[in-house]
Amino acid sequence: MKKLWKIFSGGLVFENPLLVLMIGLCSSMAVTSTVSNGIGMGLSMTFVLLFSEIFVSAFRKIIPSSVRMPVFLIIIGGFTTIVDLVLKAYFPALSKSMGVFIPLIVVNCIIMGRVEAFSYKQSVLASIFDSFGMGLGYTWVLIGMSAFREILGNGTFLGIQVMPQSFQPILFFILPPGGFLIFGLFIAFNIWNKNRLTRKAEAKENA
Amino acid sequence: MKGNSRLGFILAIFAAVGCGSLAVVQAITAPAIAMQSQKALDESLKELFPDATSFEDISSSITSSSPAVKFEEAYMVKSAMAPLGVAIKASGSSYGGTAKLLVGVGLARSIAGVKVLELSDTAGLGMNATSDSYYVDKTNKITFPGQFKDKFITDSFEVKKDVVAITAATITSRSLTAIVKAASEAGAAWIESSAMAGAAPEGK
Repeated sequence: MKKLWKIFSGGLVFENPLLVLMIGLCSSMAVTSTVSNGIGMGLSMTFVLLFSEIFVSAFRKIIPSSVRMPVFLIIIGGFTTIVDLVLKAYFPALSKSMGVFIPLIVVNCIIMGRVEAFSYKQSVLASIFDSFGMGLGYTWVLIGMSAFREILGNGTFLGIQVMPQSFQPILFFILPPGGFLIFGLFIAFNIWNKNRLTRKAEAKENA
Repeated sequence: MKGNSRLGFILAIFAAVGCGSLAVVQAITAPAIAMQSQKALDESLKELFPDATSFEDISSSITSSSPAVKFEEAYMVKSAMAPLGVAIKASGSSYGGTAKLLVGVGLARSIAGVKVLELSDTAGLGMNATSDSYYVDKTNKITFPGQFKDKFITDSFEVKKDVVAITAATITSRSLTAIVKAASEAGAAWIESSAMAGAAPEGK
């Protein structure tokens, strides 16, 4: 259980896909201009990651290593298409607001990275914990970044006006340079937080 | 050699199972998807022409004169009594990809309304064109597509002159305006060439 918790929490802080592994950055920069986009992208990615990791892990013994990449692609692409079709057919409102993210999920290197580096070698249970850790680690950073960018750059949070009317939105934060700045600050925060947690753990061990 | 054919065989099985399951899901969801998109189209047509009761497909008889703008579908809109106008689903390229608009043209050579169906521009900038709470005219609460309502098709359709641009999204504003212009011109030309023109109210 402790091992599984470590896998899960690793995705949140110590091995955060965006802030530490630095994969899947293009989508994160593109969608974090509003909070609702951040939530939508984060959750759809987590969903596809979960099922891709389960499938790859379940079939890992029969996937020969020399053709593993095309097989991963079939699993990820096939699963993403199924999600897309089901959303379109039965949840049109959800599909409309998340429609732009679905194609982005296929090319998100976090999924390819995790099935290759993790699920292909680990059990299904461990893969489930890893996908939740990585997925939520990705989601919290997206929501955090988009909250800063939407509030400062548009004066709103989830589309609701939160800044006083006199506040002049700083467009810089919606545009890519502002995204990079916020992203850099998040990396700095994560390093500080990581060091803090490591020191705490060490102190506990020494005590 | 033997090893390679084994690899190919395994890959083929994965591909076949993948294709098979996609085909099944596709077959199950296709009718529901077609129904949803029909429903969405009906709803947006009703939004442009609230009095409409029926739509007749005229897609084959209407073509775009602008190479940058494509017409996907076109409908003649009728109320119980008389024809009301033409609605055209037109697409063209915008800042972040293809933009799809539904443009309604009334009988009086003016635009009945414009609705953004699809747009993938920058969130918070170009995407403001799809927002119900982003106003180009804050005092009268007029949205970017809303400003085209009742605009005459003979107007110049120039961004920053007779069309108000979305702040910091001039490219989006220009491309959407170009689509509206092409669709409304074609719609008006179609109305004129058809029998519907006789029913047009006088004066305007």
